[in-house]
Amino acid sequence: MNEILESLQRCVERGKVNIKSPYPPDMKGQEGADELAKKALEMGVAPQDVLSKALIVGMQNVGVRFRNKEIFVPDVLMAAKAMAAAMVHLKPFFKSDELKHKGTIVIGTVLGDLHDIGKKLVSMVIEGSGWEVVDLGTDVSPDKFLKAVDEHPGCVVGLSALLTTTMVNMETTVQHIKSKHPAIKVIIGGAPVTEEFATKIGADHYSPDPQGAVEFLNTRCTPN
Amino acid sequence: MLEFPTPETVSFYPSFQELAIDRTIVERDLGYRKTPAPEIVRQLIDEILPEVSLRLTIQCGFCILPPDFVSLSNDGLLCGEIQISTGPIIASQLKKLKTVAVFVSTAGPLLEQWSQQLMADGDMMKGYLVDSIGSEIADRASEWLEKRVAEHVAPRRWAMTNRYSPGYCDWPVTDQQKLFSFLPPRFCGISLTPSSLMIPIKSLSGIIGLGPDVARGAFQCSICDLKDCFRRMDESEFATEQR
Ligand code: B12
Repeated sequence: MNEILESLQRCVERGKVNIKSPYPPDMKGQEGADELAKKALEMGVAPQDVLSKALIVGMQNVGVRFRNKEIFVPDVLMAAKAMAAAMVHLKPFFKSDELKHKGTIVIGTVLGDLHDIGKKLVSMVIEGSGWEVVDLGTDVSPDKFLKAVDEHPGCVVGLSALLTTTMVNMETTVQHIKSKHPAIKVIIGGAPVTEEFATKIGADHYSPDPQGAVEFLNTRCTPN
Repeated sequence: MLEFPTPETVSFYPSFQELAIDRTIVERDLGYRKTPAPEIVRQLIDEILPEVSLRLTIQCGFCILPPDFVSLSNDGLLCGEIQISTGPIIASQLKKLKTVAVFVSTAGPLLEQWSQQLMADGDMMKGYLVDSIGSEIADRASEWLEKRVAEHVAPRRWAMTNRYSPGYCDWPVTDQQKLFSFLPPRFCGISLTPSSLMIPIKSLSGIIGLGPDVARGAFQCSICDLKDCFRRMDESEFATEQR
């Protein structure tokens, strides 16, 4: 049983999607995340173990290696693809409530800013850590953030911006959300953002990379 | 002394081929410098590059401000009544200038639409590669334009500084509003939003100092304070780039 979970974890880390996928070349012809997740469940491995002992561990290692600049965006995208292939088999268990997300993060690029990719990457890594991600897209107004928070009680909010001029809209967004929901935690990120800026605008956390966001979510935003 | 037609505004449509972007350059942009990119990524880049050239409207251009209009100030430049606050790092590179060329470059809107479509359809990888190539195109179009500026001012025996962009080295991004005020509306198809975001996204703006006594200073990355930037190059990498 441990063996199959280890293989599944490896598939996520290496971005091996399914048996047909030629990537990575040294795993050609081998079963991928798709087949192994299905097999593990059929063997009677608990869905929770498939998720937390294989997939999440795999994605976490990817996040750490990305932060250390050992791997780059395309490698993360391949890992996320493998993870998604495995998640298909876990979907029914989320539906039946047998599996639960660790929580929900509502994420978006702030008003006046159209940059999307950095935020998408963060979303993928966070999703791979067992959180549900609600992506509001780009150019998101404070009102739209607030509405999403109303719809997802107890969620965490993630804000992204790529220019110093749009970064200032993070402040209005944080104020807008916290005036109605003081307990909601807000994480911010993007190229020009700094720790100092996060403190100044009353955000709860800044991270330069996706993994830092995951660590904050897992340690500071889960119940108990 | 030469008389200046004022203002001198010139624009171009360079072809993708002229920008000489190949797979190695794209791989480097993605971060793969010490290790090669995975084979699947290299294959995809090879597939994408010919397609890219069909979805481009590369434009770039410059406007040379009348020299009487431009002087050095404490914090940068004074262009008529308009104070351009480049900050001390860039100002130190502009010493002795006669005037500046205000420039822009863009990869055009089609490429980013394609990238967004690919991602919306679930192909994040291809969408990301197209996006990354778009950034390189905007950058290379500016580099290509530098050569045109050089040719343009050569008859006056003028030299040029490096190019500098608002948003770098303490020069506020908002100063783009001032630079755009010197350019014709929607110059090269680029517009600037109130939050100083250029649309299309894959666009660049900036200035180049001109005059008989200016010099190309240290190369850009060495004066930039973004030490952790994944696109940062050292001097030898930069020299190879210039080929
Ligand atoms: C490539 C690039 C370009 C490309 C295209 C950019 C694009 N977005 O498409 C081109 C060459 C066109 C360009 C143009 C300009 N650029 Co530029 N560019 C960059 C560069 C080198 C990389 C950006 C990138 O693609 N990163 C890759 C993505 C995946 O990373 P990311 O979006 O940052 O996201 C990561 C993290 O930030 C984080 N993250 C992001 N969001 C969130 C959210 C949360 C909650 C968390 C936790 C984390 C997180 O996780 C992501 C994954 O690791 C950066 C410098 C840098 N190293 O970041 C400058 C940078 C973004 N550019 C900058 C500037 C100033 C400009 C220009 C204004 C210059 C000019 N005057 O022309 C223009 C603006 C263009 C426009 N449309 O208005 C500045 C912006 C800062 C500022 N001063 O406002 C930067 C930071 C460089 C600098 N000077 O420090 N640029």
